[in-house]
Amino acid sequence: MTDIDAVWERTCKVFPILKKTLSETSVGNEDIEHVIRELSALGLCESVYESAFIEFDFILRQQIVPRFWKHFESVPDPDTGFYNFQLAVHELYSDFSRAQEVLRRLTLFRQVCRLKNQEKVAKSEEATFDELFRSVLLSQLAANFNDIVYAFYKVSFRIFANSYDNNDQDEFAEDMIELNCNGCGKETERCRCQELVCAFNTTNKHLYKMHLLDKLAGYTLTNLIQERITAHVEETCKGVFDASHIKNLQKWLDTIVINWLTRIFNRGSSKISEGDGYTHNVIENFRIKLSYFLYETYAKLIIDQFFNIIIDFPDSQLAIDDLKVCLEKIDLRKHLIKTLKQSLEARLLHPGVNTMDILTGYVAAIKAIRHLDPSGVLLETTTEPIKEYLRKRSDTVRCVITGLTEEGPTDLAEELAKSETLKENVDVKGKDEMLNWEVWNPDPIDASPVPRPKRTSRSADIISMVVDIYGSKELFVNEYRNLLADRLLVQLDFNPEKEIRNLELLKLRFGDSLLHSCEVMLKDISDSKRINSHIQSDLNYSNGKAFPISSLILSSQFWPAFNKETLELPDEIQDEFKKYTTSYEAYKGNRTLVWRPVTGRVVLEIELAGRTLEMTVNPTQAAIIHYFQERNEWALEELSGLLKIPPSILRKRISFWQTQGLIKERDTDIYTLIDEMEQSQVDPSQSQEICEEDESESAMASASDQREEELQVFWSYIVGMLTNLDSMPIERIHQMLKMFASHGSGVEFTQEELKNFLQRKVREYKLIYNGGVYHLPK
Amino acid sequence: MKVKIKSWMGVATWRWIANDENCGICRMSFENCCPECSLPGDDCPLVWGACSHCFHMHCIVKWLNSQPNSQQCPMCRQNWKFNIQ
Repeated sequence: MTDIDAVWERTCKVFPILKKTLSETSVGNEDIEHVIRELSALGLCESVYESAFIEFDFILRQQIVPRFWKHFESVPDPDTGFYNFQLAVHELYSDFSRAQEVLRRLTLFRQVCRLKNQEKVAKSEEATFDELFRSVLLSQLAANFNDIVYAFYKVSFRIFANSYDNNDQDEFAEDMIELNCNGCGKETERCRCQELVCAFNTTNKHLYKMHLLDKLAGYTLTNLIQERITAHVEETCKGVFDASHIKNLQKWLDTIVINWLTRIFNRGSSKISEGDGYTHNVIENFRIKLSYFLYETYAKLIIDQFFNIIIDFPDSQLAIDDLKVCLEKIDLRKHLIKTLKQSLEARLLHPGVNTMDILTGYVAAIKAIRHLDPSGVLLETTTEPIKEYLRKRSDTVRCVITGLTEEGPTDLAEELAKSETLKENVDVKGKDEMLNWEVWNPDPIDASPVPRPKRTSRSADIISMVVDIYGSKELFVNEYRNLLADRLLVQLDFNPEKEIRNLELLKLRFGDSLLHSCEVMLKDISDSKRINSHIQSDLNYSNGKAFPISSLILSSQFWPAFNKETLELPDEIQDEFKKYTTSYEAYKGNRTLVWRPVTGRVVLEIELAGRTLEMTVNPTQAAIIHYFQERNEWALEELSGLLKIPPSILRKRISFWQTQGLIKERDTDIYTLIDEMEQSQVDPSQSQEICEEDESESAMASASDQREEELQVFWSYIVGMLTNLDSMPIERIHQMLKMFASHGSGVEFTQEELKNFLQRKVREYKLIYNGGVYHLPK
Repeated sequence: MKVKIKSWMGVATWRWIANDENCGICRMSFENCCPECSLPGDDCPLVWGACSHCFHMHCIVKWLNSQPNSQQCPMCRQNWKFNIQ
């Protein structure tokens, strides 16, 4: 017994683990061999070997691991967290290294005894222990452990990045007087960066030796770095679109982040030794993973700000170039489309935005997105909502035309000017496509699958894109014609060279035939000048005239319909026009003039109370004041009868003279000239508030009036149909008209429009609507 | 008060003095031009026949050239003669 006890004592001395302790005992190899000999004599080798591992398991479970985790039970605060972690790792490591010594002895033990445990031969003692160690450690993982690791690495990264920055800009750093160190947050004099770095390196070395670096810190490390990357990208790139960041970001990643990681994984040194394939691989993996993350973060940042990029487009080109690079590496197409659509909708497509601004945004979006994706698929998908929205706005066409013909924020005029070279380019492009067929790519899968009639429409230029909002050129041309007519007749600020140039440019784009009438309109204006000067030189006319008349002589068929305002001029004035007409008839045989008295411009000189006023007014106003010359007081009714103007409109016209302080309304509908006595008392500024905007009124019929006029064409068809078929519902009428009548004239109309038209006819007693069908009154 | 008109710029449309509105051949209004032309008025004048019918000059000339034997007014079938005024 004593013998066995003695042997056990000696065994425990060699393997203190058997007594549930890791305390070190210094024993020489000969002691170990001695114990082994004794044990093998007793045939106990195997049991001792086995029980050593059982004890390991026990100690790990009961002592080492709980002690390690105990460090993390308290709520971590950033300052102590760092040391806490360092201390814990340090303790763990000392236990670990003591265990290593025991393992070494066990290895020796096994080799000497030649134990026949076959399954363990495959694994060394270290491997078996590692397995045990890790599984026990991780099975008791503390809940807040990741936070602590995170805090630990965060401090170190800050120090590292800071020291790197300081190296970069040494001379600046010396100039700067900083109270606190950027790295450790302590006062500069008490900076502990160096100390912290040392502690950090040792801790990492320990973790690495225990093969725990990846397991314990890998996840948190990745998280931390990703967070840092996001913060860095945001810090450097947000809101800056006129510079390319991608190279700088890549450089930042390669130097600071990767260097730091190398230090962690390579035990404190930043150079990986040649033969260390493992570390090299780990770092390389990180590099790939992180650089993708960097690109993704950067691309998302750009995408989120894409609306602003669109708005400053030509300046933000570099940001778009960056995004292009990113999109090649990472597929964010769906995200891009979704975000872009949303931001466009939120920023542009609501009632608070002017149509002109939407158009400006649309044009900028076309330019920017086309720069990003020349194939046009992206553009098509993202701008569809804008088009849809613009279609619903009634003033879109007018804004486009204004944009095309006047200098404005939309650059449309500029684009139009560019189109001179358009035709040649189209040919060149076509050739290019044939030559470069090898670089052709199919459309991305999100492209609209509908085959388009013209291949060119996707790569169409900006003007076509804008005009395409409505899908019809006619509408635009009509609106252009109306605006042109207005400019020529009412605003009279006619700049022939500019108008002709504009017209030529538009013709290049829309074709001659659609713009033919505009051409005639411009020609009418220049012809009128010639005719005028001819008539002025006609002695028969110029000798008898009371005042000089000039005229714009229009080809009625080519101008848009005029509005139906009427005016009958006083006889004396009419006589003058008759003289002019006579002279015209003499000049152009077989032709005569039909005057449109409402439109025009009159320069008057009014003598009043010793002063003279010179004014430019419209003909109606001139006629009114002319009548007041004869009599000082007029009843509205009487004047309305003479001028053939409805009283309501006449009242509006008279108000012009009221604002001028010449006429007052003495009693309801009785207007008097303010006589010379009163004249001086009236302060003209008082009545200035009722100033009316006469000049802006259009001489042309409004669009809806013109529309009605067009539908009027169908009235005879409708009467014919109803005579033959007695009664019809509106769907039927619409269908029939579409089938038979609308072919030739090219007029298209919706059922809604037809309904309005028919309802008007019902009101005029020309139709009867009964039980859902229309029929003619008997 | 005395009002003196210093100048008056008026707007008028021109019209042919004819007893019809449309050209009997092309059915276009006289104030419009014939299908061959693009500018109305001086560039596409009207002509009158002795029968008092009138057409776009280009229209009636084309018509007459297409009639090999007898040259008749397309409206009244009388022999066509230009009415030189």
